[in-house]
Amino acid sequence: MSLIHACNAAARYLRSGGVKGVKLVMHELAIAQSVVVAVEAKAAECNAARVKGVRLKIGEASSVVTDSLTFCFEMLASLDPTLAGAQLFIDIVPHRAHCRHCASEFSVKNFVAQCPTCKEWSNEIVSGTELQVLEMEFET
Amino acid sequence: MPKITIAQNILAANDTIAQEIQQLLATRGIRTIELMSSPGVGKTTLLERTIERLRGQLAIGVIEGDIETGTDAERIEAAGAETVQINTRGACHLEAHMVRDALQEINLIGMRLLFIENIGNLVCPAAWNLGEDIRIVMVSTTEGDEKPAKYPHMFAVSQVMIVNKIDLLPYVDYALEKVRKQALAINPNLQIFEVSCRTGEGLDTWCEWLIAFANSKTY
Repeated sequence: MSLIHACNAAARYLRSGGVKGVKLVMHELAIAQSVVVAVEAKAAECNAARVKGVRLKIGEASSVVTDSLTFCFEMLASLDPTLAGAQLFIDIVPHRAHCRHCASEFSVKNFVAQCPTCKEWSNEIVSGTELQVLEMEFET
Repeated sequence: MPKITIAQNILAANDTIAQEIQQLLATRGIRTIELMSSPGVGKTTLLERTIERLRGQLAIGVIEGDIETGTDAERIEAAGAETVQINTRGACHLEAHMVRDALQEINLIGMRLLFIENIGNLVCPAAWNLGEDIRIVMVSTTEGDEKPAKYPHMFAVSQVMIVNKIDLLPYVDYALEKVRKQALAINPNLQIFEVSCRTGEGLDTWCEWLIAFANSKTY
């Protein structure tokens, strides 16, 4: 499915008043489209008759609005008989960093990268930037 | 019900193309910068002034991303650089395949530095690699002074921040020090340039850095 096709489908859906309060649709739409392409390929490989569920791993620091992503995924999935009705599960990964100075690991709040223990600013991001399709559940 | 592991980066297809672009440009000795900001900050004006100042010293190419129109590419061309326009027709960010296609239409011979000017947007472009060596985020004094705190992802993935329109500081309520502080709290390694594309202030320092960057092998 091309991005144009996906955008047109999204525009039709939004014009029909399908959803209120969904913002940033474009960004999540493009990500949802990549998920659908990956799942479609895997479904074909497995001779899946129907995909029932898809699990994603999304980092807290990836700027993805999960409600929008779910909405876009469901809309795109509905255009493919194999994927129609598939449920999306999202595992959120916390944004965490490892301090190079005192070696403690800490949770990063609002991207502010200061170690709460030693107050130093030098660190490596340990998790939170993930954008992954983990697995899918299907019927043959 | 059967379950199967996919374990694939959602943007893997984009990342693969981005790596191909990076390799192609590295082979040709071209350093690449992705330029990102919200609309109206002065990305195209910065490129115009930079190209004019570095004419004869550094061969610059520009890939111009806009939702519609070719006016920015016309401005860049008039300033004297090789350029190609990408119109995304509604999409809010560039993706690697668009850059790959644009590279077919631009003359890379002799080019030393390539700018990829992304769509004016502080959210979406952060997720898509385009094959760039570094990313620059640009802000200006006529916007709110909480951009780094409000759009931290963009500042976390950039190596450089440019603050434009500093000539207007006496007339606007823009706390430059606060912006600097916010940005460095998110990304302590961020290099910061303060410029006015209108008066030329700060552009010498920026251009000197740019020449050094173009001559370097790694950032």
